[in-house]
Amino acid sequence: MGEHKQEWDRLLYIVPFLFVVPYLYSTGAHSTDYAWIIIAAPLVFFAVIAIAGQIWNGNETWVNQLKEGGVLGLGALGMSLSAALWMIYEYLDHHGHIEVGEPWSWLTFDVLTYDSEGWSIAATGFHGIGFGIYLDSLSIMLLFVATFLCFLICWFAIGYMTTDSINDNSNHRFFAEFVLFSMGMFGMVLADNFLWLFIFWEIMGLCSYLLIGFYYWKESAAYAAKKAFLTTRVGDVFLMIGLLMLYDIYGSLDFAVVFDDPSTGVGGAVVEAAALQTALLMLFIGAVGKSAQFPLHVWLPDAMEGPTPVSALIHAATMVNAGLYLVARMVPFVDVGHHGVAGMEDLGLIVAWIGGITAFMAASIAFVQNDIKKVLAYSTMSQLAYIFTGLGAALWFFNTGNHHAGALVFGGALFHLFNHAMAKGMLFMASGSVIHEVHHAHDHLSHDGEHHDFDPQDMRNMGGLASKLPVTAIAMMFGSMSIIGIPLIGGFWSKEVIISKTWYAYFHGGEALLGPAILLLATAGMTGFYMSRMWFMTFAGEPKHELVDHVHETTPWIKTPLVILSIITAIGGFGLALYGAIDWLSGESTHLSMHGHTLIDQIVHELEHAFLPEDLQLRYVGWVTISLSFVLGPIMAARIYGGSLRNGEKATPLVHWLTSLSGKFGSQNVDGLANSQLAEALQNRLYFDDLYEGVLARTIVPFANFAAWFDKNVIDGVIKQIESNSVFGSVQIRRITTGSARDYILMAAVGALCIFALIWGVGA
Amino acid sequence: MQLLLPEMVLVTGIILSILVPNLGDAKFRIPLTRTRLPLLIGGARFKATSDPRVPAWISMFALTIALVYSYLEIGSTSGEVGGVIEITSFSRMMSLVFYASLLLTAVATTYRMPSRPSTRVPTEKDSEKITTVLISRLMDNRRQVDFHILLMMVGLGMSLMAMANNLFFMFVAIELASLAAYVLVAFHKEEATGGEAGAKYFIVGSVASATGIYGMSLVYLWAGNLDFDTLAVAWSSMDGLDPFAVVGVGLMLVAFGFKVSAAPFHLAAPDAYAGASSPVAGMLATASKAMGFVAIFRVLIGVAMPSEGEAIWFCLLAIIAVITMTWGNLAALTSENPKRMLAYSSVAHAGYMLAAIAAIGSGLGDENTTKLVLIAIVFHLTILVLFKLGAFLVLSLLETEGRSHRLEDLHGMARRDPLVAGSMFIFMLSLAGVPPLSGFLSKLLMINGIVNISAGSGSESVTAILPWVESVDIVFWLALAIVLNSAISIFYYLRLCLVMFFEEPENAKPLRKAVHLRNSILVLALLTVLFGFGSGAEYLLDLVDTAVSSL
Repeated sequence: MGEHKQEWDRLLYIVPFLFVVPYLYSTGAHSTDYAWIIIAAPLVFFAVIAIAGQIWNGNETWVNQLKEGGVLGLGALGMSLSAALWMIYEYLDHHGHIEVGEPWSWLTFDVLTYDSEGWSIAATGFHGIGFGIYLDSLSIMLLFVATFLCFLICWFAIGYMTTDSINDNSNHRFFAEFVLFSMGMFGMVLADNFLWLFIFWEIMGLCSYLLIGFYYWKESAAYAAKKAFLTTRVGDVFLMIGLLMLYDIYGSLDFAVVFDDPSTGVGGAVVEAAALQTALLMLFIGAVGKSAQFPLHVWLPDAMEGPTPVSALIHAATMVNAGLYLVARMVPFVDVGHHGVAGMEDLGLIVAWIGGITAFMAASIAFVQNDIKKVLAYSTMSQLAYIFTGLGAALWFFNTGNHHAGALVFGGALFHLFNHAMAKGMLFMASGSVIHEVHHAHDHLSHDGEHHDFDPQDMRNMGGLASKLPVTAIAMMFGSMSIIGIPLIGGFWSKEVIISKTWYAYFHGGEALLGPAILLLATAGMTGFYMSRMWFMTFAGEPKHELVDHVHETTPWIKTPLVILSIITAIGGFGLALYGAIDWLSGESTHLSMHGHTLIDQIVHELEHAFLPEDLQLRYVGWVTISLSFVLGPIMAARIYGGSLRNGEKATPLVHWLTSLSGKFGSQNVDGLANSQLAEALQNRLYFDDLYEGVLARTIVPFANFAAWFDKNVIDGVIKQIESNSVFGSVQIRRITTGSARDYILMAAVGALCIFALIWGVGA
Repeated sequence: MQLLLPEMVLVTGIILSILVPNLGDAKFRIPLTRTRLPLLIGGARFKATSDPRVPAWISMFALTIALVYSYLEIGSTSGEVGGVIEITSFSRMMSLVFYASLLLTAVATTYRMPSRPSTRVPTEKDSEKITTVLISRLMDNRRQVDFHILLMMVGLGMSLMAMANNLFFMFVAIELASLAAYVLVAFHKEEATGGEAGAKYFIVGSVASATGIYGMSLVYLWAGNLDFDTLAVAWSSMDGLDPFAVVGVGLMLVAFGFKVSAAPFHLAAPDAYAGASSPVAGMLATASKAMGFVAIFRVLIGVAMPSEGEAIWFCLLAIIAVITMTWGNLAALTSENPKRMLAYSSVAHAGYMLAAIAAIGSGLGDENTTKLVLIAIVFHLTILVLFKLGAFLVLSLLETEGRSHRLEDLHGMARRDPLVAGSMFIFMLSLAGVPPLSGFLSKLLMINGIVNISAGSGSESVTAILPWVESVDIVFWLALAIVLNSAISIFYYLRLCLVMFFEEPENAKPLRKAVHLRNSILVLALLTVLFGFGSGAEYLLDLVDTAVSSL
């Protein structure tokens, strides 16, 4: 090992990219005038990397200096990130009062016509589709998440992808697709129009298909790519129907037009709640597909077939947020205090129920997963479901007129989106680091290629890695804590709000929300268990495989993003909570600041708010949550999977206490439970995949076979018939061309006679 | 005289090409004295002027000046010379097309028929092989003058033809161009196909010409004058239909039909294209064809067009157009020889343009729609120089290796020279009419014009399709015929592209180095794209608009 250098000098290549935005800033320009950079930079470099990668494939400079385009992609994403940060800074600086300029117009359908005046352009009355940017706290937050994570992921990917021998000379494909994916995400967040949102949404869908199938020669990867594409397509069809219905209602898909007064449709008509609710439910189905919620969740675990774990990461930490974004955009429709349409409580209830079911189901399946990435994938589903439940509760509150509570849980849900994205991004990178190092150690051990069936992602081959991978272990610890909701760390601040407000809704008239509320509470404890289980199985206890001794943390480019994200996860949640992030995200306040309190005041205020809310019922809920997720779940996990490191092994103090502590709870054998029918059902993902395949095999597949037969025999048959007739005619007609001048003259004479006859006939 | 400057330049070019290579140091001694006057003609030739490349330089130079001048004068010139020549924007536009085509032919010929100053006469010491090579080189060198004189002669004839104000003069000019062209087709007489093709082309062509001249004489019998203006007045004031006039026009159509290679007078064309060298074939397919269409404009639209109602030749031309395009496309479908295939494609394109002219003859259109169709046709003739000639130039690049008569010769072009193959791809797409290339725009304008003309005819109140189909004028179906034919044609255009990109080359060596020819091809490809949309298309359309306004 140790053959990889850190290669910091490669970063020099991205410096010019990073100078563009500071230069523009120094000229006194407005950031919003240059928002197009955020989208254009990755789009251009997608093409550059894809083409240059073909031309210079295998070229020494291209591979070693530019990392097969990775450095260029990093530069482009850096440019996007800097432009985005500039815009975010201006947005915060002006407290949200920011000019966004006129949208750029597309598809204006002018017609070129000719009349006595000459050539002219005739307008058709259709004013095209404008593309502008839409900024509010929601898009600003997601823009930061997307640009920041994509930048770090690209950084990580340079180290991860280029040190894998399996990717020889095809990494440019990865980087090009990745950069295009980023473009789709940025564009979707910025778009000021549902149609553009949909277009970028689909670009992401395409890239996700390409990235999951990156190892297209592996049958499982090709299958997973197909599955992800088709499953999300189901949602997308509904999404498109929903958009058409919205267009039908409002005559436009511009946010500015639609959100201005959602209760008034095209031509001043009053919008009917039933029609609008159906349209929004269609949009929600699209979001369910994209965010992998029940019942369209089956693609996400398989998506882990992508290049370990980078594409998994963009799916889990970035793209899935698209669905949440779409649902969050529905708030103006239902907010009865601000021209919203009353009578759509069912929408919020459905969203919340879907969220609750998914949260519980995913968490339970995560109990039995042994693949480190699959645990994270199910955890992603489960956490996204929290956010959906929160958004559902918010929609319900808004629609029933409780604006204050709605805003609070809406902000909390979005805050959880932020915390989860940061933590989960880091967890995937850390898992990638683990897998990568284990894989390298395995390669190192088996020169003779003995262990062909070795799975570097299986946690049963790990254990005791805390001393071998110090940075990774710390990162994974903070990430897991944030996901579990350990008090004061990251996700705690947002998850508490979601759970308590869902219960609050139940206590205040939302009887139908009892189900989701209970499910969320139970899931909190389960999260504590399965996240702890993952950490203990990987890092604590005695090594379960000989190769653990050979694992080292050496791959370049991997540690930096882990460190950055660890810091953000560990203290970012608390810090932002102190600055009133929840109020800011929900739009209740335009200032991201402490409202005149001193720091100490604010800390005390926040802690009081979190642990000792005035509402007694919520206080109980909060404490139950904490005891479940912080005490019960982790301790059970520690009893089953925990253990001290081997004698003599020493981890960094930051994690050493945890490994030691995990060994103190004794051990419990769960073999009996592991062999139960329930465990088997969970192993088989509750048979959802089998169910879908069975249904598909009986319905869609016969129809597809028929369509294929029809295409082959009827459509192609007609075309083939035309072709063979044409060829027959061609052969016949060529016979006339004998090559003899005599015949040609004869033909000309016949022609002349015909002309003679015809013209005479007409004349006479 | 200044009005005819481009033609004068060409005449000067012809004279210079005769004189310059023959300049020598011969001297004349004045009798009874010792004074010797340099005679310049005869004696030992000067080294500089005897260079075999001189004729090509002269012809390219003359054609370039003529081209640039024609281009500059499109918007401004008008005037009359000697009663039979009338210079208008339209004639200058057409001479621009002719000169551009001939100039490219001249450029391509420098590689097809290379001239080498270093060639010497073979001696007895040379081996047999070297002797053959040297002889063929000498032959190339000696033929330079002939080729370029003929080429400029073609240009002169065509350009004068476009200016003709008189039917007789127009026929003379056409014959001037045609006779030179027949020789150019047969120019490579050492190849069996060349001589045969030239002979066939000449025989069929002269029969067609004779028929046309006979028709002209009938017209003269009828009107007693051959000025176009007089003829037009006579036609519109004709009481009923005079048999002489009608039959005369019909017979002239035979001659013009041969020139534009309309069915069934096109049969010699594929043989001629396949037998001629590719640059000459390209010239035939663009300049010669444009000449035929100018003649048709003059006679059918200028003279034999009634002030209102259907023209007498409408039905006839519509039938010819449909047969022509269908025949061309069907025959091209199974052609294994790229040159023949392009020849048939050229026949098909003639069919499209004839259909557009027929639509004008229907008399349904108003002033605007008629002009739109005319613009479409002239625009098409202009840009044909780009992609039809471009395709022939690519073949001519292959021909420098001695091969371009089999589809296999194009195999793997993309690997041998990606840029040229890419250009050929663009040419083929443009021929097929794929947006955003200029071939698409011209086809669109043409179909748009035809549909516009027929627009008034379908009954408006009918909502169902079938009654509307019954009520719509026959002109509409011409547009449909063009569309269907274009669909068939895509097959053979794309097949050619397919073999270029996906077949293994028989000979993986790079193509022969032909700098100017290759650059011309690339420029043509670029222009094919640029004139297809945006400001490029607008500019050329404005130019054509100006030209057509003066018709």
